[in-house]
Amino acid sequence: MTRRPDPDVSGLLPLTPVVFEILLALGSGEQHGYAIMQDVAERTGGRIELHAGTLYRALSRLLDGGFIEELDERPAGAHDDQRRRYYRLTALGAAAARAEAERLEAQLSIARARRLFRRNP
Amino acid sequence: MRAALRVYRAIVRIQPREFRRRFGASMEQHFRDGYVDAAAKGRGRSARFAARACIDALLNAPALRLAAMRDRLLWPDPIRSHHEKGKPDMWWQVLANDARYAFRTFRQNPVFAVMAVVALALGIGANTAIFTLVDGVLLRPLPYASPDRLVMIWSTNPREHRDQDVVSPLDFLDFKRASAFSSVGAAYSFVVGGIWTSGTGAEPITLTAATPALFETLGRQPAIGRLFTDGDFNKGVIISYDFWQKRLGGDPAVLGRVLNILYQPLTVVGVMPKDFIFPYRAMLGPSGFSRSLAVDAWVPLSFVDANAFNRATGTAPLLRGVRMLSVIARLKNGVAPEQARAEAQGIARQLADAQPDTNKGIGVAVVPLHEQAVGSARPALLLLLGGVGLVLLMACVNLANMLLARSASRQKELAIRAALGAGRGRLISQTLVESVLLACMGGVLALAFLRISLQSILALAPPELPRVSEVHANGTVLLFTAALSLLTGVVIGLLPALASSRTDVNSGLKQSTRSSTSGRGQRRVRSVLVIVEAALAVVLTIGAGLLVRSFVSLLSVDPGFQADRLLTMQLTLPPKYNAVEPRRAMYADLKSRLEGLPGVTGVGGTTRLPLGSTNLTSKIVVEGRSLAQAQWPEAEFRRSVFDYFATMGIPVRRGRAFTAQDGPNAPPVCVINEAMARQMFPGEDPVGKRIKFGTTDGPWSTIVGVIGDIRHSSLDAPPAPEVYVNYLSNPPSNPFIVVRTTGDPLAIVPAVRQQLAAIDKDISSNDVRLMSAVLSNSVAERRFILLLAASFGVLALVMAAVGVYGVMTLVVAERSTEMAIRLALGAEPSHVLMQMLRYGLVLAGGGVLIGIAVSAAMTSSIRSLLFGVRPIDPMTFAIVPGIVVAVALAACAGPAWRSMRVDPVRALRME
Repeated sequence: MTRRPDPDVSGLLPLTPVVFEILLALGSGEQHGYAIMQDVAERTGGRIELHAGTLYRALSRLLDGGFIEELDERPAGAHDDQRRRYYRLTALGAAAARAEAERLEAQLSIARARRLFRRNP
Repeated sequence: MRAALRVYRAIVRIQPREFRRRFGASMEQHFRDGYVDAAAKGRGRSARFAARACIDALLNAPALRLAAMRDRLLWPDPIRSHHEKGKPDMWWQVLANDARYAFRTFRQNPVFAVMAVVALALGIGANTAIFTLVDGVLLRPLPYASPDRLVMIWSTNPREHRDQDVVSPLDFLDFKRASAFSSVGAAYSFVVGGIWTSGTGAEPITLTAATPALFETLGRQPAIGRLFTDGDFNKGVIISYDFWQKRLGGDPAVLGRVLNILYQPLTVVGVMPKDFIFPYRAMLGPSGFSRSLAVDAWVPLSFVDANAFNRATGTAPLLRGVRMLSVIARLKNGVAPEQARAEAQGIARQLADAQPDTNKGIGVAVVPLHEQAVGSARPALLLLLGGVGLVLLMACVNLANMLLARSASRQKELAIRAALGAGRGRLISQTLVESVLLACMGGVLALAFLRISLQSILALAPPELPRVSEVHANGTVLLFTAALSLLTGVVIGLLPALASSRTDVNSGLKQSTRSSTSGRGQRRVRSVLVIVEAALAVVLTIGAGLLVRSFVSLLSVDPGFQADRLLTMQLTLPPKYNAVEPRRAMYADLKSRLEGLPGVTGVGGTTRLPLGSTNLTSKIVVEGRSLAQAQWPEAEFRRSVFDYFATMGIPVRRGRAFTAQDGPNAPPVCVINEAMARQMFPGEDPVGKRIKFGTTDGPWSTIVGVIGDIRHSSLDAPPAPEVYVNYLSNPPSNPFIVVRTTGDPLAIVPAVRQQLAAIDKDISSNDVRLMSAVLSNSVAERRFILLLAASFGVLALVMAAVGVYGVMTLVVAERSTEMAIRLALGAEPSHVLMQMLRYGLVLAGGGVLIGIAVSAAMTSSIRSLLFGVRPIDPMTFAIVPGIVVAVALAACAGPAWRSMRVDPVRALRME
């Protein structure tokens, strides 16, 4: 399957840490809000704590912008929880996450090239 | 957990409603999940989680609202609005588009745009210049610390109609004790024109004496050096910044430098800052007028025992009967001026009871310092501000008319825009953007020329106008210009904007490109604008006319002497003439030398020059009348030198003038003026009566003559009682000399200086002027106001003419078809002409009548500025409307004439 060219999201870069972390969290599949918080807390070692206010403020923006969407169908079986709402990335959201990751990678290789790290990290 | 959840729920309730609806439940669930998980790790952790969650939610609400505001006003959130295609423009993008469009229309019709911008620049610029004047003089606080807490204390003498009289030293010390004041200081109520003997010779220096507490009261520290201490009396001097820079060349070693002032060595202990000014002219008493208003130096004022008082500069005798101080006080925190006034009045009453000889009937007045300094200028400046505002209003009326006409001719274009979807609001805002842009461009142009316009106004302004030296453009002025430009733009554009928004799409699209017709509504608006313009022109011109008549009245006041071909100068004698005999000898020498000069027909002198110097009053004791000392009448005291009365052209009404026989060994004689005769010897012949000056001791002086009244303090002040004694008993060391010549008095100045140098090169002369210049200078302030007001009046007439002309041209153009038809049908051309003229006359006449009514209502408010003319002066009120109507008719004439010459064939064919 050929991938359609990514929509132009360059105007959105750089993404804020909160937005990027949420997109990353949803990169592995649908999640509900609290799970996103747990995921982010785990990955950042507790550095970024997405409490409800911050989280849903960001989710509201991403929803309105079309970067994520709320699920109509529920995931099957044991993962389901009736009271929770699940979100997943849209193509746009994935594209945005990809673009940000690529940007960071480019920065990282420049840092390496300029020997900013004593050893390969 | 229940308690924590309840708190959290309450915080969720303060989130914005839409957010709460979407995510409120999720937020609560999120809180529950997190709390439970944290509790599993330990009790303390759940409390910490709850706290952090609550804070996060608390901060979330304002964050959402701020973000919403930013989205609305500044720029939309790129993430939230990413999917929107064809986003509606932000408000500032709309404005930018409108501005671009407006500039395009200006380029299409540059003449109109340039004319409009220039007219606006003139109107806004004039207002800005006058406002800068008003701001500098009236609005800006005085250069003292917390100047609104400062007041002046005056003595009052209701019986002699003095509501601000200077204060005596002992009274000052009593007022100092009042609890309402945190500090009280005093200074001479006059400035001393002294001599500074520098390396290059004798130069004039203006100084005054002030108590050390005065600087404390004013709250200013010197820029360099220090203030006075007790040891500085007769030794120290503080100089002004300007004196240091301009006369001492900014000498870096100025502190400690010794200056020879009034033949005394004084050490400079401090230099005041550049913006420090004290005293302002209005802070001096009625005796304190000095032509040179900038004080160069301050010496310490010290009080001496009455017996030891020798009139040395810097001393004041501890007496109650001698009044010579201006008193400034600082109110304590929380004390209102009324309280201070009440307390001071209580003190004055106590003094009147305890010292009836000197203080009976003497009251006290407490005046806020700012009001004292600038209050006198307020009526005139506000009048000017009002006048220039009206001028701008007239310019606005003209421009609104022009824009209206333009919008009428752009009906087709507006109709297209409306058809393409521009709502009424957009049409209005597009027109407003145009007019605001024009006004802002005019404002920018006005600011570019502000420096020049300010300089020309200040060049005309008399130095007597308070604080005129402090006037300069600042942030307030810029703000004013910006606000005025915006306001003007909106005012000009409002009517055309409303008119254009009422575009009838159908008829607009059908409109032919050549002719322009306006609806009935627009025509009515235009007529109203012409009426308003005529009314404003009448108001402005009547105001100017009244001021012109006042000025003419004032100039025609007889000063009481002959000012033409009269030279005047002031001499200062060095200390070697302190003894009387050398002085008499010098005067004799001077008299013969000056009288011997070719072209000189009279030589005289006095201690106080009319309209050009200060005043000195003396209490008069009349023989045979026993009055308490506090009730002795006062008269202005002067000495007559040589043939003063004859040289000045002052008539001797009764008795005789002084002769050479009235010397020191002859019995003392004096000459009084008619005002003194009227006041102190009503119904009697004063010649032969005897008086004493200021004391019951000493010999009587016999009145030998009565001279005509002269104007001394100003042309519009009634003559005060004057008494003259002959100079021979005590020739003055600082006389004003007057010399009458047959030819141009200035031509003999070198010869006079030569003679003075021949007598003694240390005698210095200053203020060499023509007496006619002194006279003219005394009305400089009025002349300044008049010049500006008259120019407003002329401007008003010009603008009215332009406005009427513009409107009439339009009317003729619109009605050309109708007139062509009439002419073709056989109407007389002269009828058509009369019809046009009548139309214009009716409009102008209506405006003139309204203007007369408004003027009649308003002129009583400028009563204080008028002299010799009533606020509703029949002549002015009759002539001015006539002029305005004539101007309007003249403006109508051109278009009306053209209306007569319309070629019916061509007009009808074009339609």
